[in-house]
Amino acid sequence: MTYRSLASVIAFAAVIAASMLAQIPAAVQAQSPATPAKTASATRAWTPPLLPDGKPDLQGVWTNNTVTDLERPKALAGKEFYTEAELKDLQNQERQRLYVTETEGQPPANHSGVEGAGADDVHYDFSQFGLDRAQAKLAWSRRTSIIVGPEGTIPPLTPDARKRLAEIRAKAKGHEFDGPEMLPLGARCIARVNVVPLLPSAYNSNLQIVQSAGYVAIETEEIHDVRVIPTDGRSHIPGNIRQWYGDPVGHWEGNTLVVDTTNFTEMSPFRGAQNLHVIERFTRVDQDTILYQFTVEDPGMWTKAWSGELPITRINGQIYEYACHEANYGLADTLRGARVAETDAAKNSAK
Amino acid sequence: MTKLFLVGGLLLAAAAPAWAHHGFAAEFDQTRPLKLKGTVTKWEVTNPHSWIHIDVKGDDGKVVGWMIEGGSPNNLYRLGLTKDSLPLGSEIVVDGYQAKDRSAKAVGKSVTFADGRRLFLGLPGPESEPDKK
Repeated sequence: MTYRSLASVIAFAAVIAASMLAQIPAAVQAQSPATPAKTASATRAWTPPLLPDGKPDLQGVWTNNTVTDLERPKALAGKEFYTEAELKDLQNQERQRLYVTETEGQPPANHSGVEGAGADDVHYDFSQFGLDRAQAKLAWSRRTSIIVGPEGTIPPLTPDARKRLAEIRAKAKGHEFDGPEMLPLGARCIARVNVVPLLPSAYNSNLQIVQSAGYVAIETEEIHDVRVIPTDGRSHIPGNIRQWYGDPVGHWEGNTLVVDTTNFTEMSPFRGAQNLHVIERFTRVDQDTILYQFTVEDPGMWTKAWSGELPITRINGQIYEYACHEANYGLADTLRGARVAETDAAKNSAK
Repeated sequence: MTKLFLVGGLLLAAAAPAWAHHGFAAEFDQTRPLKLKGTVTKWEVTNPHSWIHIDVKGDDGKVVGWMIEGGSPNNLYRLGLTKDSLPLGSEIVVDGYQAKDRSAKAVGKSVTFADGRRLFLGLPGPESEPDKK
């Protein structure tokens, strides 16, 4: 099957699906369970193994690799959960997509030089380097978005936040490559958006949890960050101390680890929030699954708090090093490229 | 295609993630596509991007060392990659785009061995029990 024919089939399926969805009465759609049925029953029936200090054992190597978007696609508005049959279709589609990608390369639309393709599509084929998400284990969920609730989207920004972000963008315009400090934190190997809250990365969505009495440590492979979370009842550090990933303080509520994180720097990598407060809940619901739930708030940023949920599933093997600075030639290449462009522009204007 | 999977129901799957470590368009020039055939002299199995070094012989007989950017090696290891997966001396063909600084660097959009096999795909059996899919 070529990409063109695959695209036709998928497009046809989308039309059929949309029409099917439109025919389902809203009341029936709204009957989706508040949490996935399997998770809910497993929570009741399953008792997690305990460590010597009596706390649930969350240790191991895990992944939150997923096909589920953070925000619900518009085509699925009002539909919070897939049915089991729809989930099976989704899994089949993902296998199909990977098969075609590995056979034929990534779709042309993801490459530059093709009419309509974005400028950012100048990149290597992800599947060739094992980075297509379907080449790694996926944590499947019936949710149609990571963000829970009927809307499934990030709430609107406050007027102040809109103004602030617009000013930042205006100030940066034309100066995006003046120096390394203008580049995103991720490109500089400083911080990523997948650490707090714990969200999937584009690839390497792997993490390891290690516990000892009074502490839980979470290492995310991207980008090799370890959060050390005390669970000994201490308070947050003084408010004037701000950190890239904030100050996490944990406690146990029954079998659930609850982590409260404040004291983020105003340069937080998370969507430009300046006074981020994140509450996370880790509950091991079966041998191979941790249910991860989080709530994010910043009254100066969003008009209301928002929450998300996704499973974290166990994987074999180990976490690998991600020494991001080690070969970050791309940063220097980018800046040198900008200097070459400036030199060319100066020459052209002098002619 | 030997096996046709069911494609139906809701359109759920988006395209593969296009996000990566950095903005590729800032580093590479889509107006400078290139095709290189060369011999592997070094393979930097590093993060955030691996780099394949190849010697490319030009029409004038002059050999130029090129560096080709590829992906993070972590998941390749999980899929069973070894150092032998890309032996030094291998002849590879790169379709890609040159870096905007116009040095001998490029992104390897598509990389194949001289016999047409796509790089790193179809590796021999995994060495570390990768997860069943």
